[in-house]
Amino acid sequence: MSALLAIEDLRVTFNTRYGQVTALDGVSLHVNAGETLGVVGESGCGKSITALATMGLIPMPPGRIAGGSIRLEGEELVGAAPARMRGLRGADIAMIFQEPMTSLNPVFTVGAQIAEAIMLHQKVSPDQAFKDAIALLDRVGIPSPDARARDYPHQLSGGMRQRVMIAMAVSCRPKVLIADEPTTALDVTVQAQIFDLLNEIQRDFGAAIILITHDMGAISEMADRVAVMYAGRVIEEAQADDVLDFPQHPYARGLIDCIPALGREDHALREIPGVVPPLHLLGAGCAFADRCEHTNARCKTEKPLLAAHGHHPAACHAVEEGRI
Amino acid sequence: MSSSYLLRRTGYGLLLMLGVVVLNFLLIRLAPGDPAVVIAGEMGGATEEMLESIREEYGLNKPVLTQLAIYVGNVLQGNLGESFFFNQPVSKLIADRIGPTILLVITAQLMSIALGVFLGVIAARKPNGAMSAFVSVFATIGYAVPVFWTGIMLIILFASSFPIFPVEGMQSVKLRDAAWYVQTIDILHHLVLPAFTLAIIYLAQYARLSRASMLEVLGSDYIRTARAKGASEKSVLFKHALRNAALPILTVAGLQFGNLISGALLVETVFNWPGMGRLAFDSILRRDYPTIMGVLFFASAMVVIANILTDISYRWADPRLRGRS
Repeated sequence: MSALLAIEDLRVTFNTRYGQVTALDGVSLHVNAGETLGVVGESGCGKSITALATMGLIPMPPGRIAGGSIRLEGEELVGAAPARMRGLRGADIAMIFQEPMTSLNPVFTVGAQIAEAIMLHQKVSPDQAFKDAIALLDRVGIPSPDARARDYPHQLSGGMRQRVMIAMAVSCRPKVLIADEPTTALDVTVQAQIFDLLNEIQRDFGAAIILITHDMGAISEMADRVAVMYAGRVIEEAQADDVLDFPQHPYARGLIDCIPALGREDHALREIPGVVPPLHLLGAGCAFADRCEHTNARCKTEKPLLAAHGHHPAACHAVEEGRI
Repeated sequence: MSSSYLLRRTGYGLLLMLGVVVLNFLLIRLAPGDPAVVIAGEMGGATEEMLESIREEYGLNKPVLTQLAIYVGNVLQGNLGESFFFNQPVSKLIADRIGPTILLVITAQLMSIALGVFLGVIAARKPNGAMSAFVSVFATIGYAVPVFWTGIMLIILFASSFPIFPVEGMQSVKLRDAAWYVQTIDILHHLVLPAFTLAIIYLAQYARLSRASMLEVLGSDYIRTARAKGASEKSVLFKHALRNAALPILTVAGLQFGNLISGALLVETVFNWPGMGRLAFDSILRRDYPTIMGVLFFASAMVVIANILTDISYRWADPRLRGRS
């Protein structure tokens, strides 16, 4: 069975003042209908760029899709006509953003903003669209949706605004829903509610969800499958349980180690030493080499490829050579 | 919008006007020059006795504070006094001239906002494009060039090289008795050059401001949201972005209104436009105190009204300000 959304060898470059940098260096991902794919990694690893490329929202210039393909039900999206992408955006592929506080337009009521999304893709009257918007607000758990639909974004809390964003995103029953760190800006208790809501929405609407996060807790709660990204590449990919229980790549191991666990003896929070290297300074070897305790000469000169050496696919020489 | 807010705002406006009246009065008395000498000069030579009788007649020999009290009392009763020079009530002089000034100022304001914002939006679409460069250069030139120079250059251009627009006055004498629509077209025809001259300096400012404001707004998260739901580029620019970018433009438009009125004074003088600007110019030269103060009174009233309207429209445009005082 071919995947609902398949990204193959996607390469995205940006012109910056340091010259051309490669933000995505051959990313391949896929997601099937009704499935949730978790994409994890630190800030700057290319998660959001992958999402924006899928939406056709990479600012060009300075960005450029240098190669690869993105197929939705077999239809190629790389190089598709702008009008075709506008027709797909919000209808077949929808996106929820990280910042609910700033992602809604402050001068329009939330009801009008949802209704606009509906009217862009469906032939309904403005009155009907507004009624549909109220029904959607009700569906995402907003109390007295009739009154709230006439509110402006600043009158709602962060959690409520993210619910509005979700209502807007699912208004046209998209096939793929991309959630880019949908709970990062929210309270912990509200986070759990939003995840519950996303799960319910997926059950009702049957959408595939791509959940972008750096929160392994969110992954264990939501994801069926996980792709770990680092410096513009996918470095490990497997079923969520496999990645959580048997991480292969030293970076994935590090991410899992960072999860604070109840009952663990040491109380200090763990971290991965160092930061993601700036993309313009990436050399020929593994991008993680400078932060990795298993680095040898080969890691510094040769980029590891994603392949099944151990338990499941990982891009690491140390795993391949059986050193860890 | 609450009516109590409007009431309070109007109250502040009236207090402000009173302050303006007092300040105008004192400022003009501080300026050098004796109106009695000028009036006597108009009458052909003056003896000391004649000057005295003129001062007596116009109340200029009383202490300044007494004069101020009398003037403020008169203004509160709606009486702006008699012009020293025209021998007519100041309110009648202004009533005859305020219409052309309002026509000129409002036309210039609308022209500069509409054209300036349009240029700014176009420029913001491609911040590194040719249109953007043109707007920046045009804005710098438009801002730097004095309004009277623009006016004189336009007069030279349209009086001799391309005589398609009238360069003087508001109406053609031979059309004074024509049908109303002919007169209207004639007035609009006369309006083109003065309005454009007055508009150009502000047009440049609005273009720059809207370009900057649009660029900032276009980088915001909600614009990405609008694109993510499949909105067209036109809708993103003119609906989602412009409504937000308009907020700083509105503020500046309100604040500029005062400058626009003082600009009108120059433009009216250059183009011989029969408005309050000409009246102000003439009465300053003639030390015609009541007329100057009357003109300043109406000009400041127009500014206060413009500011109240700006406040109201700001609240209309930005829902975050509604319900606050």
